[in-house]
Amino acid sequence: MKAAFRNAYCFTLSRYSINPNPTILHLVPAISTFPSLPSSVFKNPPFRSPVTATLCSTSMASGDSDAPQTSPSLEKQFEKFRVQLEDSGSLRERIRAVVLEIESATRLMQASLLLVHQSKPIPEVLEKAKTQINVLKDLFNKLAEVVRECPGQYYRYHGDWRTETQMVVSLLAFMHWLETGTLLMHTEAEEKLGLNDSDFGLDVEDYLVGICFMSNEMPRYVVNQVTAGDYDCPRKVLKFLTDLHAAFRMLNLRNDFLRKKFDTMKYDLRRVEEVYYDVKIRGLATSGDSVEDQGTQGQP
Amino acid sequence: MLNSSAALFRRISVSWLMAPKFKPRRLPPAADPALPLERSTKLARTMSTHSSIKDAFSTYADYLNALNEKRERVVKASRDVTMNSKKVIFQVHRISKNNREEVLEKAEKDLAAVRDLHIFRLVKELQGTDFWKLRRAYSPGVQEYVEAATFFKFCQTGNLLNLDEINASLLPLSDPSLEPLQINLLDYLLGLADLTGELMRLAIGRISDGEVEFAERICRFVRDIYRELTLVVPLLDDSSDMETKMVTMLQSVVKIENACFSVRVRGSEYIPLLGTGDPSSFLLGVSEVEL
Repeated sequence: MKAAFRNAYCFTLSRYSINPNPTILHLVPAISTFPSLPSSVFKNPPFRSPVTATLCSTSMASGDSDAPQTSPSLEKQFEKFRVQLEDSGSLRERIRAVVLEIESATRLMQASLLLVHQSKPIPEVLEKAKTQINVLKDLFNKLAEVVRECPGQYYRYHGDWRTETQMVVSLLAFMHWLETGTLLMHTEAEEKLGLNDSDFGLDVEDYLVGICFMSNEMPRYVVNQVTAGDYDCPRKVLKFLTDLHAAFRMLNLRNDFLRKKFDTMKYDLRRVEEVYYDVKIRGLATSGDSVEDQGTQGQP
Repeated sequence: MLNSSAALFRRISVSWLMAPKFKPRRLPPAADPALPLERSTKLARTMSTHSSIKDAFSTYADYLNALNEKRERVVKASRDVTMNSKKVIFQVHRISKNNREEVLEKAEKDLAAVRDLHIFRLVKELQGTDFWKLRRAYSPGVQEYVEAATFFKFCQTGNLLNLDEINASLLPLSDPSLEPLQINLLDYLLGLADLTGELMRLAIGRISDGEVEFAERICRFVRDIYRELTLVVPLLDDSSDMETKMVTMLQSVVKIENACFSVRVRGSEYIPLLGTGDPSSFLLGVSEVEL
């Protein structure tokens, strides 16, 4: 079809032109070779190309006449970029402000939780730590509000709150374990922080890293509990950590941060096993132990 | 199931907490009539905890598997985009005064193929979601594509292909019911930075062929881009890699400027072939030398 067009054009030219203008002849290949791209894609009309070609071979003077045309559109685009970046920059600052507050609430929670290593009664310790949960809930809501301003960009700014969220999850999970002896689930963690998947959720990988951080606390807790005289603690912690480790082994991980944190879990498990062994061989764990073991062995 | 277990946990944990501290935290004395119930509920609790952890983690495993597989497919598509965009760039580099039209024609066709085949596949794999989450996976491909497209546009028209223009050309690739893939500002600027490197190579090459004016055009263009970027780059979120590219960019600009300078100083507006026997050439009798 293009060839036919070209032939028709040439035919017309040869019929009417006396001195075929070289520029027109240059235009012919331009028309026939130009593919069907939407004209909006390229700002300049296709006919410009042969003109540009002739400009290229002339002196600098005519080259200059193009320069002022380049700059304004270039400037306009970059001006727009500046505005966009300033907006996202200010959004990021607001996010950082909220994240700093999250960080300080987390620190308070962590400081009160550290008292369990000093054998303060658990309910007391938990009472104090729990007051921060509502603070955190509010702060995460605030964060969600800020991020809601640019929908779909949760993961654009995710790095700004990722570490803090992981810390929060680890503390919540630790508290949950102290209270109930069980693992805090992803959905439960989301609930505690007032997050939901559709709007501003808790990233699954953040949750998993948080759980790994929690397991890092276990060896220290167990050691201090035994020192304080609670000889039953190692058994419970060992069971919990073994189950947790087994569950984690169901995951296929890449060689990223989560994988590295998971790798540290086996060292935690080993330390707890050692403590349990120390306590058991010295007969410090009471004999009710074997009853419990039979009970657990009865499970599928 | 989870809710009833939660209620169970609370009931049992309360009874545990009320027990004196150092007594074994196990079954209360057999005299207590509630005891057998506690024992079986305790076992049931342990069992259900066990299975609920396994259930939950199998959900997490599915989630991670799906995410990682998607990421891998996106990376593969991105690599194809990179490779084929590079081919377009090499094609455009073959340009000279004599073959301009054919070179650009082929380049345009190839660029359209990159878009319609490889970027299309990228769009298909992303399926309208996780654009920001998986950005690292496809960013290199997109940068290379931006580099190729802007390089082509400059050689064709002498102007910079805008981000809006390039994104408009990608809109038809996406299913109208899904969120379209749009190149974000950071990837565009990173591609632009690489473009200046290619333009530097082009300028030096064109000078060797005697097309000094084209080279000077490139010089002005690259200067403009560099100038505009210096105001924008510091505002970027993670400007570290862009900052290093700015250093390289300035070096490219200087290289072009020096080459243009050498040409101006050493000769007239057109460079006759070295070692030429043309009597009007000031290089008459000079042996061939690398420029």
